Amino acid sequence: MAWWWLQSHSGQVRNNRGISAISRTLPESGASARFARRALLRAAVFETRDQELWAHRPAIAASVTTGVLAEVREDAIAVDGEHGTEFFGVSSATVTWLGARASPSALRPGDQVIVRHRTMDAAPARKHAERIWARVGRITGTIVAADGLEFLVDTHRDDRAPQRVVIPPASSRQIQVRFPRLAPGYLLDVIGTRHGDHLLAVAPATAQPPYHAGHSPRPPLVGGPVPMPISGSAVWHEPDDEPPGLLGLAYPAIDPEGGAQPGDGGTGCVRLPYLSLGATVTIRNECADLAAMLPVTSDGAMAREFCDRCVECGTSPKGRVADLTMTAFVGLGGNLEDGCFNATLTTMAG
Amino acid sequence: MLAVMREVQVPLLAVLLFCGSAAKARQAIGTHQGSGPTAMFPLRLRRPAAVALCATEFVLGAALLLTAGHAGAGNPAAAARAATGLLFGTAAAALYELRARRPDAGCGCFGELSRTPVSWRVTARATLLCVAALSSIGIPPLRMPDSATQAWLTLAAVAAEVAVLAALSPEISQVMLRLSHADPCELREVAVWRTLSALHASASWRRYQRFLVTAEPIDVWREGCWRFVVFPGVVASRRVDVVFAVHLARRGAPVRVGMLDTGAGFVPPLEAPLEDPLQMSNRV
Repeated sequence: MAWWWLQSHSGQVRNNRGISAISRTLPESGASARFARRALLRAAVFETRDQELWAHRPAIAASVTTGVLAEVREDAIAVDGEHGTEFFGVSSATVTWLGARASPSALRPGDQVIVRHRTMDAAPARKHAERIWARVGRITGTIVAADGLEFLVDTHRDDRAPQRVVIPPASSRQIQVRFPRLAPGYLLDVIGTRHGDHLLAVAPATAQPPYHAGHSPRPPLVGGPVPMPISGSAVWHEPDDEPPGLLGLAYPAIDPEGGAQPGDGGTGCVRLPYLSLGATVTIRNECADLAAMLPVTSDGAMAREFCDRCVECGTSPKGRVADLTMTAFVGLGGNLEDGCFNATLTTMAG
Repeated sequence: MLAVMREVQVPLLAVLLFCGSAAKARQAIGTHQGSGPTAMFPLRLRRPAAVALCATEFVLGAALLLTAGHAGAGNPAAAARAATGLLFGTAAAALYELRARRPDAGCGCFGELSRTPVSWRVTARATLLCVAALSSIGIPPLRMPDSATQAWLTLAAVAAEVAVLAALSPEISQVMLRLSHADPCELREVAVWRTLSALHASASWRRYQRFLVTAEPIDVWREGCWRFVVFPGVVASRRVDVVFAVHLARRGAPVRVGMLDTGAGFVPPLEAPLEDPLQMSNRV
């Protein structure tokens, strides 16, 4: 018998619940404390309320859990996360991804998972897994070396060493259709499963730009103030050195005086106001009608390189406006295997 | 008239070559990358190819000018003009090939200004310049016009050719756009030292400087048109952070000030400063 009664998630309410779904329980870190301080200092000058977002601690999504799979049962899974072991009910309605759609029974203890869940109205203590992604990974960057269908990819994130990507023969055709130039200097963006030190790519996350890294088209000139909100594509990235449950985004137009150096691609093909780390922006998933106010937590160097569109619900304008953390992407209703959602971004900056 | 047209080609070509060379040099220095037909080279060869093209244009421009008078008449002048014709002929063929293989790439003829994809106009321009260079072979050494009529004819020939070249140049619209355009402040790169300079020149700085403990900011960040600069300070024996918000739109724009107790407490935004705003508004 199932742990708790099931409810079809087709009845999910589509509204602006994203912001209210964010709680604040993540332990404080040095950088986040500094950014929280910035919000307070900004509020000391202007009448802003975004200091409430930080409130001394960075936010996490209440509807998303990341961790390591501890146990798999027929009707539930147990996940060891930052807050101990959590149990989530699974059912036939639970969508599981492990390189492709799979049954929850395909999951194995030890798998890194990210779970989007909801709480039962009748039993608030019980959580039901809507979607589970296991060992999911993504590498977005510049190919620096190629050996057959194995590649080293520079992800331009801090000083991280190039990442290894392996394209299995079963996926090579699908990937090469959209990434025909698998050669050093060209861009790669693939989604797959993590296996030790490499990513086994199973699907392209977008279409390959025809230009080399650093040659993205210049954005159109803007005559007056940048119109808000700004539409485009929102993508996701793996946590790397960030806390796994961090809600935030890598922003493509980090103020170069703040330490980030725009690459040769400039600020990308979207005109975005310059911001520093710690600034807050509002991101709306136009496909799910969910929005959240999120802090800028890293430099979106790779988002600047791509001038693509997202076609999850209609066709977005060209360019990536945000590179979200996995948790933020999932919390805003995005499906990691899709790679993007149509988004609008609003900055607090005037 | 045809003879006059042939005579004006040498200085016109030299000027174009110098402009192209300078623009390519600026791009090569700024981005460390090649552009235009060099996009068809392997990645590691692009920059050397761009530098070689830049140097070739400069040398040919100089050779055209040095051989234009009596000093270089004869074979040297013919060689310089033939080489120029060869350069533009090769360029026309390369641009035709580039358009087929890399339709997204710009011609790179004038560096950053030539980022629009190669069109028939650019190929036609290179062909026209090739014809112009070859047509100048065999003309007598250049001299000043003999009469006013001759001078007007020369001017008319130059104006006509410049007009044709402008019509074939997508770079002209880029130049006009850049000359008439200024990015809004949130999109403009502004150096921190400029912000600090504006801050130090402001009345707010003079008013609050006496409360600051150090002259160096402990935090600087930007949000769109505003850059925030934080200094540690002491007010009424309490440690505070004094934050200045400097608007980046123009020099002399008002600087706003706030402060926060270095404890966790939140101090509401300051009201309009009075005689001693710190004492009036900051609950310390």
